[in-house]
Amino acid sequence: MATEVLMPRQGQSVESCIILEWKKQEGDAVTAGEVLCEVETDKATFEVESPADGVLLQRLYADGDEVPVLERIAYVGAEGETVAAGQEPAGDRDEDREVVGSSDEPAGAGDSAAGTRPEAAAAAATPDSETREPQAGRPEGRGRVFISPRARDRAERAGVPVELLTGSGPGGRIIERDLDSALAAGTVATRSAADGVAARSGRPEIEASAGTGIGGRVTSADRAGAVGAGGSDRTSGAARTAAEGAAGRETSEQRLTGVRKRIAERMLESVQGSAQLTLHTSADARALLAYRSKLKAAGEPYASITINDLVLFAVARVLPHHRGLNGTLEGETLRSFGAVHLGMAVDTPRGLMVPVIRDADLLSPASISSEARRLAAACRDGGITPDELSGGTFSVTNLGSLGIEVFTPVLNPPQIAILGVCSVEPKPVYAADGEVEHIASMGLSLTIDHRVVDGAPAARFLQALGKALGSFEVLLSGAEPVEE
Amino acid sequence: MPRSLTVDPKVVRKPGVVTCPEIPINVYKSDPKHERKRFGDELLRRVYYDMYTIREFETMLNEIKTQGEYRGIAYDHKGPAHLSIGQESTAVGMCLPLGVEDFIFGSHRSHGEILAKCYSAIMKLSDEALEATMKRYLGGDTLAVVEREQYEDIRDLAENFVLYGTLAEIFGRNAGFNRGLGGSMHAFFAPFGSMPNNAIVGGSADITAGAALFKRINRKPGICVASIGDASSGCGPVWEAIMLSAMEQYRTLWPEDVGGAPPVLFNFINNFYGMGGQTAGETMGFQVLARLGAGVNPEAMHAERVDGYSPLAVADAMERKREILQAGKGPVLLDTITYRISGHSPSDASTYRTKDEVELWQQNDSLASYRAYLLDNGIAGASTLEAMEQRVVEKVTQACRLAVALEVSPRPRPEVIEQTMFSNEPADRLEDREPEVLISRDENPRVQQIARKSRSAYDQNGRELSKMKVVAYRDALFEALLYRFYEDPTMAAWGEENRDWGGAFAVYRGLTEALPYHRLFNASISEGAIVGSGVGYALSGGRAVVELMYCDFMGRAGDEIFNQASKWQSMSAGVLQMPLVVRVSVGSKYGAQHSQDWTSIVAHIPGLKVMFPATPYDAKGMLNLALRGSDPVIFFESQRLYDIGEMFVEGGVPESYYEVPEGLPDVKRSGTDLTIVTIGATLYRALEAADELAERWGLSAEVIDARFINPLDLDPIVESVRKTGKIVLASDACERGSFLHTVASNISQLAFDYLDGPPAVVGSRNWITPAFEMEDTFFPQKEWIVDTIHERVLPLEGHKPSTVQTGGDIARRYRRGV
Repeated sequence: MATEVLMPRQGQSVESCIILEWKKQEGDAVTAGEVLCEVETDKATFEVESPADGVLLQRLYADGDEVPVLERIAYVGAEGETVAAGQEPAGDRDEDREVVGSSDEPAGAGDSAAGTRPEAAAAAATPDSETREPQAGRPEGRGRVFISPRARDRAERAGVPVELLTGSGPGGRIIERDLDSALAAGTVATRSAADGVAARSGRPEIEASAGTGIGGRVTSADRAGAVGAGGSDRTSGAARTAAEGAAGRETSEQRLTGVRKRIAERMLESVQGSAQLTLHTSADARALLAYRSKLKAAGEPYASITINDLVLFAVARVLPHHRGLNGTLEGETLRSFGAVHLGMAVDTPRGLMVPVIRDADLLSPASISSEARRLAAACRDGGITPDELSGGTFSVTNLGSLGIEVFTPVLNPPQIAILGVCSVEPKPVYAADGEVEHIASMGLSLTIDHRVVDGAPAARFLQALGKALGSFEVLLSGAEPVEE
Repeated sequence: MPRSLTVDPKVVRKPGVVTCPEIPINVYKSDPKHERKRFGDELLRRVYYDMYTIREFETMLNEIKTQGEYRGIAYDHKGPAHLSIGQESTAVGMCLPLGVEDFIFGSHRSHGEILAKCYSAIMKLSDEALEATMKRYLGGDTLAVVEREQYEDIRDLAENFVLYGTLAEIFGRNAGFNRGLGGSMHAFFAPFGSMPNNAIVGGSADITAGAALFKRINRKPGICVASIGDASSGCGPVWEAIMLSAMEQYRTLWPEDVGGAPPVLFNFINNFYGMGGQTAGETMGFQVLARLGAGVNPEAMHAERVDGYSPLAVADAMERKREILQAGKGPVLLDTITYRISGHSPSDASTYRTKDEVELWQQNDSLASYRAYLLDNGIAGASTLEAMEQRVVEKVTQACRLAVALEVSPRPRPEVIEQTMFSNEPADRLEDREPEVLISRDENPRVQQIARKSRSAYDQNGRELSKMKVVAYRDALFEALLYRFYEDPTMAAWGEENRDWGGAFAVYRGLTEALPYHRLFNASISEGAIVGSGVGYALSGGRAVVELMYCDFMGRAGDEIFNQASKWQSMSAGVLQMPLVVRVSVGSKYGAQHSQDWTSIVAHIPGLKVMFPATPYDAKGMLNLALRGSDPVIFFESQRLYDIGEMFVEGGVPESYYEVPEGLPDVKRSGTDLTIVTIGATLYRALEAADELAERWGLSAEVIDARFINPLDLDPIVESVRKTGKIVLASDACERGSFLHTVASNISQLAFDYLDGPPAVVGSRNWITPAFEMEDTFFPQKEWIVDTIHERVLPLEGHKPSTVQTGGDIARRYRRGV
């Protein structure tokens, strides 16, 4: 009997993974532990190994397919062995066939088909009113948008996501006038959003003459080809200018996948799913800068400790005294933690990632610094594990090194607070003699989930943090600060 | 109903009896001495040669069909071959006295008649004429094949040409007489007077009558023979052809110098069977077919039964009847008895007759008897006859060899069919002579009346004028007809009530004064023969305009429209042209059998041009187009529109000549939001709907009148749909099978990416037409169009439909079949 290969669950929050690339073809001999394919979660890439010796009998998904974790993705067995009927993929047969079938299509189509699968499964499994009741533009539920060819074409040109349109045609069909009213109502996406829509829909706009179908019609193959080529010129549409055609000024398009797709979802989820409030203040940075100078002068390994490391240290030490901000909100459960697992935002070529420094409240500046460096490197080279990317209780993001004076960080759900570290700028203050003097001052922007964190405790945390940074060497003593 | 003839009660109520002339049966007595003097020995021998040629030709086909081989030449002929073994004497006897200018039209069993008529013509034509004809025909393609073979002289070559041209046609080859597009049952060779043979039983009868009308009306020499089977006497159109040919007006009302009745001879080749049905004693009751003449006119059609087993008896009868016909005293009916030894077709097992019966006739075999006659009377010696027979076998073998070989005789290119569906050769006049008219155009009372009317529906201030004061649709049609009558001397028009009445809808009013009887006359109530004679007239070289008073009567002319007018141009490989206009008036008010729009039925038939103007401008411009063309046109008119004026073209209907471009739909009102396409009178309801859409919803509808059904340029409609994204199509045709569904389907394909909704078709209900007062439940109304837009294309805010036009109701109607 063939052995199933499952999509592994990589970390608590991972629901599905994208198959980046199959390393083995059907019929290839494999040994246990040999890499079958490379997959990507929203946070990391990793490899799926063969669970047994034998032959890769069947691959159930294609490159680019998104597959729920613990779903069968392949079978390994003896040569010539066939996959028994009962071993076909779980769930409704028709739906699976649909997914498997569409996997053979070029990348653009395959990806969108895979994307529809969980929805389709949900619609079939839950006979709730939402999927059964005819809706505008979705007469039969199941997530299909009913839209006239004309309206679809114009929506794509205008960059309006058809999902946002309400159908007024027969049976709720979206027709041209629905687009017109959306345009008139100003619910039109911006041009960059239009690019995004075109990319997300997997149907970048292609001039009719570029089509290879009958009469120059653009076929799905043309679209897939354009996507597969890593984006195509936006060669039509009102916004196009002659200069855009010049070398180096082309507009490029990309399909959202993997990390970027997940970031997009998480960010939107964050902003839409919580009540974010950002408080801004600044802290006297003279002590911090002085200490940093000393470290620099001391040479390695001290010289590698950055300002940011020192801020992380300060946060980790202050936070246990403000437990109301060191927590998570999941559903209706609010957790507050004694330990500080500090998320730190890392800029990587694939996008923003937030690895977690475990037990930061127990670490020295040097330990925090080396752990932060290790995690950042792992993020950049893709070796970070899903578990290193999860479990944070509070996050810090730093745009100060890029000269940002003030900003509004976006919460990293389910966390309820995030600190933004801004640039160090001179700030006029009243000296003891009543004269105004300028001191080095670091901007701090704290975003809280106002559903569970009130303004005052947040302000108190900022105040305490500012005080700790302002007298940094005192903080280094390790003495417990007195709660105010 | 001519005013010049009085129906006098004193006369018609007088008692009396009808007496009929005696109808002779087999009166010919062979007198060899007299015959040698009358025909000459050479011709008598020639009769044997021709008969033997037919026998060998048919035997060859029989062997090919039943054994797949003739004299070592193997061939599998999958098509038909209705053979006439046994009937050779009737064919040769019939053609012997006929001139080249005489026409014979035959049946599915006419191979022998083609050969006999062509051989007869070869005897009568000069070498130069023969050579010129062969060189010209199909660009010399047929000649080229036989010319490469040995031949003695031009006559010998001409015989080879006829044998090969006929056989290549039967085998479906490019060098066949009709490029293989006619085949066994339709082959013919017009230059020698062998005219189209017809696979529809009796189909040749009314076509022959039309050809005879052509000869008479245009003062051409020659007679026309319909060589049709005995069983076709049961066909309505055959009777209609006889009735049309026997109208008394030819002798009483037509100008005497025209020459009397059309010279048509209905030669019933009576082999006693219609396929397997025995006409003598089983399927007919006349006992002697010639009896039928007694029911037709006082001369009993000069009917006679002739012994077709004697070629000379047939020749004698033909010669005598030809004189009667040339004197304008036709029509003539011959009951030429014969017998086919071969089956109806090679698949015929002859279950309907006994072997004994066949043997009886074989003992009387005309070929053997005539051979004996020649020998017994010293007209030919055995060696002469054997040499003759040998020569025939060689010729038939050569024809077979050439026609079978694909490298010598390739099949036609399929494009030839497309190219010959229409001839597309417009001509101002089909003959160059002065048209026969009675008065000048200026003197015409109708012309004078029209001159007092407004060319437009509106006065100078844009106010609508009274219908009495405008040049109406019917006037526009009249102007087109009058113009062409004064241009084309061959143009003639007939139908029911066409003359004194002026046509049931007064289109022809004013033509009676203008035209002599033979250019405009009333026909018997014979729709089949009216159209069929138009077909015969047109393919003989004249321009015919025939009228069906109501569209609903088209069923009566079904074969003539569906099989004859439509097909002969391509079945002849373009040898024939069909300058025939069938005017068809679409009715209303008169219930279920007088109100149907059957445009969709003819749209389905390949080979017809179909037009349906809805405005006076288009009526004149499109009829002008049709009347100058060379193709068959079914020209629909609407009884709802005859009295309307021109509302669209500035300045109204031009007085001068103009044509509407063929196939081009016309935008009657420009718009941007949705497209409404109509055919026929529905245009005006669509305009009402457009008005309402504008007034209530601020929508701008583009209204397009298709005008043409075939050919039809879809581009303007596609262009409109690209602009508007929405299209509704409406006409009075019943919805199921409406041609508009074809247009809608094509628009879906040609403009799919531009559509904002499905093309929606609004047609009449799939019902009978009710009484006039209930017609709004049957014909598409303004409300139907608006409601259809609302339900299926573009929901209209606040609109409450008054009719049911939903998708669900389409499904319901289809489930119920209504």
